Amino acid sequence: MAKTVNVLIIDPDEARAEQVAEGVRADNGAQETVIRQERHFELRMLRDFDPDMVIIACESPDRDMLEALQVANEQVPRPVVMFVDRSDDNATAKALEAGVAGYIVDGFNPKRISSILTVAAQRFAVTQGLRKDLDKAKADLAARKTIDRAKGVLMASRNLSEDDAYKALRKHAMDTGRPIQAVAADILAVSDLLKPGDSQ
Amino acid sequence: MTELKIAYSPLNDAALILVAEALGFYDSEGLNVTLIREANWSNIRDKLAYGMIDAAHILAPMPFAAALGLGPSMGRIIAPMALGANGNSVLVSAKLKARLEDGGQLDSTLMGSARLLAREVERRRREGLGRLVFAVPFTWSPHHFVLRHWAASGGLDPERQIQWIVVPPSRMADMVKDGVIDGFCSGSPWPQAAQLNGHGEILFSDPDYWTLKPEKVLGVRAAWAEANPEATIALTRALLRAGQWASAPAHREDLIRILARTASVNAPWKAIELALDGSGLTFDPQTATFPWISHAKWFMGQMVRWGMLSPDHDFDQLARHVYRPDLWREAAAPMGLDCPVADEKTEGGQTTGWEIPAKPHNIIMPANQLFDGGIFRCA
Repeated sequence: MAKTVNVLIIDPDEARAEQVAEGVRADNGAQETVIRQERHFELRMLRDFDPDMVIIACESPDRDMLEALQVANEQVPRPVVMFVDRSDDNATAKALEAGVAGYIVDGFNPKRISSILTVAAQRFAVTQGLRKDLDKAKADLAARKTIDRAKGVLMASRNLSEDDAYKALRKHAMDTGRPIQAVAADILAVSDLLKPGDSQ
Repeated sequence: MTELKIAYSPLNDAALILVAEALGFYDSEGLNVTLIREANWSNIRDKLAYGMIDAAHILAPMPFAAALGLGPSMGRIIAPMALGANGNSVLVSAKLKARLEDGGQLDSTLMGSARLLAREVERRRREGLGRLVFAVPFTWSPHHFVLRHWAASGGLDPERQIQWIVVPPSRMADMVKDGVIDGFCSGSPWPQAAQLNGHGEILFSDPDYWTLKPEKVLGVRAAWAEANPEATIALTRALLRAGQWASAPAHREDLIRILARTASVNAPWKAIELALDGSGLTFDPQTATFPWISHAKWFMGQMVRWGMLSPDHDFDQLARHVYRPDLWREAAAPMGLDCPVADEKTEGGQTTGWEIPAKPHNIIMPANQLFDGGIFRCA
């Protein structure tokens, strides 16, 4: 595969960043890898360099900034890998559970970096996939509820069967070129207006 | 001796943690403490979660945000005390300050400056300029809530009309200078250092917003506290003693000396001094360290107000899970401090000193007033 991989390394310690860069290069032998090393993270790096992965030293003050972007800005989610200064497999597992794509334990050892980067990238892909599925599932559920309630209104007001109510909804959606969920929402909005007041 | 690792961020409001070490209060309470200076809040959170540290100086909203699933887990955390009140300031670029003034006198009240801010936002919109950018040190921070509350009081929708970014406090001044951000809210002494360097002007400080604003707390890993109940009380007591020492006017010079050390805050003496005078930072253990449940609920209320959180949570239970006034009383009573009878108090609406029921003697509290006159009562 000829795709270029952009890796951004943020570490105030340049010597260590160089070691990490070596590890990344060794790992990505087959792919062309562009590595950029910076002492500090700047927002424009996301736009200009468009990294596929960010590797940031745990003790960099910029970590908070990058993390806030991860949480708030869904447009530029990137795997973020961090260093911890103690080897503890259990801690790494917890970090992964916590949503961090990967913690490099004993990040000074270039040999260990390659496998962890691979895991981090895979882990990130899975998490992103799950999040998208979850969002879609939530949206689907909300749509289903709206459609069911609109069907109920049609069945009661026009004395239709459930199947016919659904067909009527679908036909209207097709005729007007709008999503069936939007048509259902309109029906519910109007039906509220037509209800006799019960609060008198 | 109980071994204990405590992390802190380089800020003036880490004073109690630093003072207790400098004066040997940990030792005399039977604690062998290793202090760790951390450059960012995420690290403190993660290290607490993995048990790499046992306690830390943390932003009061952090344990609640983490427990409510906002961001990565922090593990179970308890907060037996607050580490003082106030201490933050808001700094804006000289350019923005001039715009707000617009030749006239800048209204010194927050409501006044917020209206001028809204006017500037509207001008930028009309002229097709981008949104004003304000920086905070962490998403779930009092700083973020203060700036949003202030902007909203001028009629702005902080979510849509202002751009928020997270920036490490030590780099905020440079970003104002470079025109990347228009202003920021940060703990002292960073806004003061920025002003001294001519990178902007302080617009207001915590007491202008809320005369007795909660800010940092002592966060302790619940697992550690459960395994070391006596050491938890000893730690709280060491820090309360540090509060007694730090709030005595006679110790001011020594306090600045401790804070100014490279290993502590590492900021210029002048900036630290200016901050102690100007940011309203108070360490009085009697009036500024009790972990009020009402503070915890106020913070979670802010998360709901700004759309970070749905209101469908048991906030009372969560507040009491983290904030532990019972532990404060256990540590403070033998020291002769008066212990509040209730865990909650009305926040806001007290324009002068007032009395709260406490044992053995009632406590005279300083004014506790929000800039917009708001009063927060726990239902």
